[in-house]
Amino acid sequence: MADILDEISSTLSDLGGAEKIRALIEKASSQNISIPDIVEKGLRSGLQQVGAKYEAGEYFLAELLFAASILDEVMQFIKPKLDAEAIQKTGTILLGTVRGDMHDIGKNIFKMMALGAGFEVDDLNVDVDPDLFVQESKRIRPEILGLSCLLTTALSEIKVVIDMLTESKIRGQLKVLIGGNAVTKEFAQEVGADAAALNAIEGVDFCRGAVKP
Amino acid sequence: MTPRERFRKAMNFEPVDAIPWAENFYVETVNRFFAEGLPAHEINVMDWKMEGYLLLNWPAFLGFDANSYFGCINFFGCMVPVDVGPIPRFKQRKIGEDSRYEEYVMESGARSRIPKKGARQTTWYAMPQFYSFPVSDKSSWERYKERLNPEDPRRYGKDWDPDAYSQVLDQYQGGPTCLSMTGFYGFGAELMGIPNFNLAFYKDPELIQDMISHWEYFTIESTREAVETLRDRIDMIFWWEDMAERHGPNISPKLYREFLLPHYKRVTAFLNKNKIHRIMMDSDGNTRPILDLVIEAGITGHWPLEVNSGMDAPALRKQYGKKLFLVGNLDKREIAKGGEAMRKEIDSKLPVMKEASGYIAGLDHLVHVEFTFQRFKEYADYLKTKLPVE
Repeated sequence: MADILDEISSTLSDLGGAEKIRALIEKASSQNISIPDIVEKGLRSGLQQVGAKYEAGEYFLAELLFAASILDEVMQFIKPKLDAEAIQKTGTILLGTVRGDMHDIGKNIFKMMALGAGFEVDDLNVDVDPDLFVQESKRIRPEILGLSCLLTTALSEIKVVIDMLTESKIRGQLKVLIGGNAVTKEFAQEVGADAAALNAIEGVDFCRGAVKP
Repeated sequence: MTPRERFRKAMNFEPVDAIPWAENFYVETVNRFFAEGLPAHEINVMDWKMEGYLLLNWPAFLGFDANSYFGCINFFGCMVPVDVGPIPRFKQRKIGEDSRYEEYVMESGARSRIPKKGARQTTWYAMPQFYSFPVSDKSSWERYKERLNPEDPRRYGKDWDPDAYSQVLDQYQGGPTCLSMTGFYGFGAELMGIPNFNLAFYKDPELIQDMISHWEYFTIESTREAVETLRDRIDMIFWWEDMAERHGPNISPKLYREFLLPHYKRVTAFLNKNKIHRIMMDSDGNTRPILDLVIEAGITGHWPLEVNSGMDAPALRKQYGKKLFLVGNLDKREIAKGGEAMRKEIDSKLPVMKEASGYIAGLDHLVHVEFTFQRFKEYADYLKTKLPVE
């Protein structure tokens, strides 16, 4: 069992292509390996390896995007098989770019990687008003609130959101992750965020840790 | 030395009497500076202009030259007038709005939205959200390619005459004369959007090969007339690329070598054959993993060396010596703080970078709107005391 799952994992991490992975999934199914195991121990493990290669400087943005797109294609293939064996979602992330900032590329890449890692992601898009972050946090009750910011001029909005979460007495119910070119680890501490992710992989790693029982 | 001579010598690693200083401003920043005391009447650019609807020369405002007020060079102060955009342009027009945003088709064919005027303290004309792009596959590329005909006579202005331009360019000594080229990464990302363009390297490499072949042909042939007639009167090629983020380049060294390098070498060889050797890549982010390849491609300079992405001019100088002239790298975040933080940032780099010429001082990006007029003036005044070389 481990062999075929390892093969799925390494094929994804080597960017082997959706066709090849689909064939491996069929093979795994014929060996009575459950879909949740294929997803968790094969695909998600492969995506983690992609992240590790990115961190190590072996992969770059193009490779991250390609891996996420392979995974997306494979998940479309798996979807019809999911009815019988539901896959447990990893957690929920509420996400958006803060008010005054229209950038979305980094946010969208993080979203793709988070979806691949099994998170449900509610994306409020860009230029999001602080009260909408608060309102949706109350409604969705995510484990993680992801605030993206590329412009240094919009950085102060992060603190506005965090202060509003505190005023609304829900700050303790979620982790605040900040990301984007303008943020630093020091800034995260200054404004009371739980973490700053300097790239998508670091962000997803934080989210995984945040939902660990 | 005139500013132009100083800039040329610095790019060539020759001795200079002072380190050149270059900045570029966002329009929103200049707008802020006006509100805070920058005298518009002192820096407006007026000239005679014949609009064409009358046979009449008439004075017109052509813009604002904030660089002259502070005493820094503008890369785009003197550009060789070759139009390397799509011809015909897409007609820029508003295609929708709601209470908060306006949506536009841009001249490149991309669609974008920007906050409405008055909706924010600062209006971000410089940074709209692009939500759709003109090229997505082979057929949309084939259609777009028709607008990238290098032989279109409209690529050169109505007044194009190499001899007359040569004389006018000689009169300009305020900084370098630049010819602008769009590197293939910048070109593709602009046409397809960054995610789709990056994915295409893997999902549709034939499309990428066709795009880059046309890019090479288009880049050489559209600029040939200017390059072969003006030759080294063109001081520098401004090679816009924007191909990296904080973690590293958007495409791997492997993809750069496989797809970009052969074509880049042919474009830079064409420039070198015409005595143009100073080619400056404009890319934010951490470009270090591909810099060896960038140099192999024939690029000889790099701007803006973003500190937040780990770029460090003294370290790059040590690693690459005279293979790369360096521009910028003064940390905008520290400089914008003013006072001791600003002075410390300048003092940590200027003395080292002075040692071997090959450096043009400046911020590690365009001047952002968080700079107050007073802070920028404070920076300008201090920096200028540090530029002279004994």
